[in-house]
Amino acid sequence: MASTTDAERPHAGTITCATCDFHAVITEPNDAIERYRRHRSVTGHDIKWERTALDAGLDTDDVESALDALGDEYPDGVPLGVLTAALSEQEVTIEATLDAIYDLRMAGAIYEPRDDHVLVV
Amino acid sequence: MTRWNDGHDEIGAVSADITEETNALPAQYFTDPDVHEMEKEKVFGRYWVYAGHANRIPERGDYFTRTIGDRQIIVTRDDEGGVRAFYNVCAHRGSKMLDDTPMTDPGSLSRITCPYHLWAYELDGDLASTPKSFEEASLNPDLDDDAVRELDPAENGLMEVNLDSIGPLVFVNFQDDPDLTLAEQAGSMKDELEALPLGEYEHARRYVSEVECNWKTFSGNYSECDHCQANHQDWVRGLELMESELEVNDYHWILHYQHKEDVDDEMRIHEEHEAKFYYFWPNFTVNMYGTADGYGTYIIDPIDEGRFQLVADYYFRDSELTDEEEKFVQTSRQLQEEDFELVERQYEGLRSGALAQAQLGPNEHTVHKLHRLAQEAYEA
Ligand code: FES
Ligand SMILES: [Fe+2]
Ligand SMILES: [Zn+2]
Repeated sequence: MASTTDAERPHAGTITCATCDFHAVITEPNDAIERYRRHRSVTGHDIKWERTALDAGLDTDDVESALDALGDEYPDGVPLGVLTAALSEQEVTIEATLDAIYDLRMAGAIYEPRDDHVLVV
Repeated sequence: MTRWNDGHDEIGAVSADITEETNALPAQYFTDPDVHEMEKEKVFGRYWVYAGHANRIPERGDYFTRTIGDRQIIVTRDDEGGVRAFYNVCAHRGSKMLDDTPMTDPGSLSRITCPYHLWAYELDGDLASTPKSFEEASLNPDLDDDAVRELDPAENGLMEVNLDSIGPLVFVNFQDDPDLTLAEQAGSMKDELEALPLGEYEHARRYVSEVECNWKTFSGNYSECDHCQANHQDWVRGLELMESELEVNDYHWILHYQHKEDVDDEMRIHEEHEAKFYYFWPNFTVNMYGTADGYGTYIIDPIDEGRFQLVADYYFRDSELTDEEEKFVQTSRQLQEEDFELVERQYEGLRSGALAQAQLGPNEHTVHKLHRLAQEAYEA
């Protein structure tokens, strides 16, 4: 399914939907978020990261702490694709991360300097 | 003759006669982002487009949402038991009202309420109520309460979308005054499908795949079987392809595939001893398998010029599948994946820009029809 033509570019990882049984290569991390939303809006299914090529090396499964830790590396905002991938290594699903991000945003604890890029306030 | 982008081949419009040289849609219509934008109006804004299956919203207030191009709609069951569609856009200041709710996981409500300032609408679209702050002008020192206009429920209701059905299959049309009725667009397909008990079957499975090619590339692949022998070996083993036939009508075409060995009548929803695949312009198919007591539908929804979403739905007597049905669905999925490989590969070739205009073979008359309809839509 996923194109392999840009094999030279480093991939962010692969995502999967267990129900639809597909596995797709993701190059730009935030493409995973776009795809998650598109897929969910027609199926209700949750897409998950199945492999990630980003070695984030987080030692927390707390979304706010993870975002804080990644913020130094991404001063213009941590792409949600990167954040969800890093947290998936801590067994936090994309859905759980995005829900937590929504709650944090609604609590004023984080901000979004660019679309789908966030930072701790 | 194939036309290359080599500086001297010239492309032409899709010929009416398939034996002429320019019988295919120029390649640019598959790869140009402007064409994708144009199609939102000229194709998806003009013809009847599949919205979903009425069995999924049996009760008053049941609803699902659907996005077609940039248009977002709500499809719901009204107080009289009819199915209606509205733009998912509030009549107050245009907010999107309901969250995306797929037909496979429908919602239910008694009124459609906009979350922004809480205008609420009846299931027939009429404005049902507004908060008090829209009935009096207490915050506005320049206005008396008596001067506040009363909002007429019908005049301030939701924008309804034309809707019509073929059995339980619900279609919408975004033209104010559609050029064609659904019956005209569907022709004989309407009668044929309505003769079948489609409504007695339950939705069992939905698989959604994103594929990296233009939606018409997949449509073309679905419509011909010249590629089957080489690429669907497991599947063609049971078929008598030489006895099969591809039938073309005004806005739909039917692929009749004969089976080598006859199967029991209980194994089919339809009478004929064959598989019947209907392609309905612009982007919907009904798949009558011939070897399973059920049917499937495909929606071929463009994401952009180079990607589409295939929404594959399966309907069986019962939403719980038997082992045999499970196996059947898996075979169908295998076919999809085999086709995805082919169309992504074809699209990689098309995108490289070498080809200006393809050429179609004599048994690709269904693809020819698809290309003719696309051109007709662009020119309208
Ligand atoms: S925009 Fe919907 S109530 Fe104001
Ligand atoms: Fe095929
Ligand atoms: Zn899925």
